[in-house]
Amino acid sequence: MASGSVSITIKLFSALREALGESEFELAISDISQASAQLDVAAIKALLSQRGAAWKEALNQPNLVHALNHKVVFTDAVVSEGDELAFFPPMTGG
Amino acid sequence: MSVALQSEAIDVAAEYTQLVGDRPGAAVVTFTGYVRDHSDQHAVTELELEHYPEMARKVLSDLGQLAAERFGLRNWRIVHRFGLLAVSETIVWVGAVADHRGEAISACELIMDTLKTDAPFWKREQGPAGEQWVASRDSDIARRARWQSGEAQ
Repeated sequence: MASGSVSITIKLFSALREALGESEFELAISDISQASAQLDVAAIKALLSQRGAAWKEALNQPNLVHALNHKVVFTDAVVSEGDELAFFPPMTGG
Repeated sequence: MSVALQSEAIDVAAEYTQLVGDRPGAAVVTFTGYVRDHSDQHAVTELELEHYPEMARKVLSDLGQLAAERFGLRNWRIVHRFGLLAVSETIVWVGAVADHRGEAISACELIMDTLKTDAPFWKREQGPAGEQWVASRDSDIARRARWQSGEAQ
């Protein structure tokens, strides 16, 4: 159960970065109530989706990939102070 | 046993020499990927590769390590470019050294099949029809899945 304030780094890549006009920023989450559920990737997505329609649409694409501290995770991964959380479309390297 | 992320062209001959060193082992397999002049529907004149440096380095290092353990590699190397690339330029180079050809071929294939879907790079094509992000391909996802299902080994 989370409490207090948590600060994390958000990174956006590719079409997501372009659509939202941001590539990296610090997100300070204050007022995390004792009663709130665990602070996971889904909670961060919900929080960022409140920034507007573009954010809501971009972060709710069915094929969105989330990487927590450089590792691809599901939305139930727990986020902690100092973590780096990245959102991006499926990768197309090689 | 290393990874390089670079904006400059890949010196394939120098990479090969470095990979093999004084002791080539019995089997050396390399893969070189180049920028195509077309996609499925459009002519392509230039390719821009965006990447997530810290994660790309970690994913590729872990992948090389995995291939080395699985196939008993004597040496391996993965080089991936980022930035603006012209048609016919190198994008990626993978080298694997093993005692037998089967292991070296499979290691190279595992690395390439996994890299396409798991390493954080995104291609943006430019051509007469404009610019567009390249969508992930079902065929790449299917090739990646073969290694997880045990179909490829």
